[in-house]
Amino acid sequence: MEKRTLIIYTLIILLGCIFAVMSGYSQEDVTTVEDSAFEKKMRPGVPFLHDQHNEQAELDECNTCHHVYEDGKLVEYDSSEGQECSECHTINKGDNPISLVNIYHLQCKGCHQEKKAGPIMCSECHPR
Amino acid sequence: MHDIYNFVSGPLVWASFIIFFAGCLYRLISMAVLARKKDVFVYEYMSFKFGLRSILHWITPFGTVKWRKNPFFTIVTFTFHICIIFIPIFLSAHIILWKESWGVSWWYISDTAADVLTIVAIASCIFFLVRRIVLPEVKYLTSISDYVILAIVAAPFITGFWTYHQWPGFRIMGILHIIAGETMLAAIPFTRLIHMIFFPFTRGYMGSEFGAVRHAKDW
Repeated sequence: MEKRTLIIYTLIILLGCIFAVMSGYSQEDVTTVEDSAFEKKMRPGVPFLHDQHNEQAELDECNTCHHVYEDGKLVEYDSSEGQECSECHTINKGDNPISLVNIYHLQCKGCHQEKKAGPIMCSECHPR
Repeated sequence: MHDIYNFVSGPLVWASFIIFFAGCLYRLISMAVLARKKDVFVYEYMSFKFGLRSILHWITPFGTVKWRKNPFFTIVTFTFHICIIFIPIFLSAHIILWKESWGVSWWYISDTAADVLTIVAIASCIFFLVRRIVLPEVKYLTSISDYVILAIVAAPFITGFWTYHQWPGFRIMGILHIIAGETMLAAIPFTRLIHMIFFPFTRGYMGSEFGAVRHAKDW
């Protein structure tokens, strides 16, 4: 193999590796709060830098937010990351989505009020 | 900001609702007592049939001579009153707060619709302001309190609009919006905004006297 061809192949493989690794990282990087149960949004979704938030809030346990309840009781050592909130907090298609909106608000605003830290007013989370 | 927000959206809400309901009740009772003391015939003449007939005419757009004579004013005043009652009750952001606090919710309008209606409400307030300044017959009857009342009513809509559009200082504006709403609610019993509660009685009485005594229309 010619030297030039070898360099080009190496570069392609290297770029491929970088791309693969980067895309893996970017999948981990949560930047907004999303839930497929919201068919159409009245207000823009909430920007949320997952890792940065947890670092700032000093959250180590996933299930502080990604909780699991069984028969109305918190299951202490179980957690639900990777699930959408609406998988448990179900709403039917065409239903008033306020109850689902409410559990998101309770989760974010509720904790912010409790800790007296973080945004609590509508427009602080829902940008225009 | 948390403390201020919690204060204006907690204790102050309670205070304004209590002042509103207790104040209106007090005004109703004291007016009823005053009427009995000063003019017993109010009770003599009060007629459900003639009262309701007059009220229905006056709450129907173009249902009275006065409404027909001032078509533009009629359109504005009806739209304005519908807006200021309708928007705060059926705004999604307000319903979310009811849901958070009491677990109750009801039908709501889209934010876009609310936005348009708010512009209409603010524009109506500007119309009423200009009308007071420009029309001699209205200016003659205008005192400072009329401007204050107008400002009290316009404030929640202006601050709400500002906050919703996230113009500079929207956080403070949001706090001011809550305070403005509470001020308006608490001001109702003690200003001429009390017409919200009194109108069925004042209009009802006029309708009764015109209908039962003078055998005439008051619309």
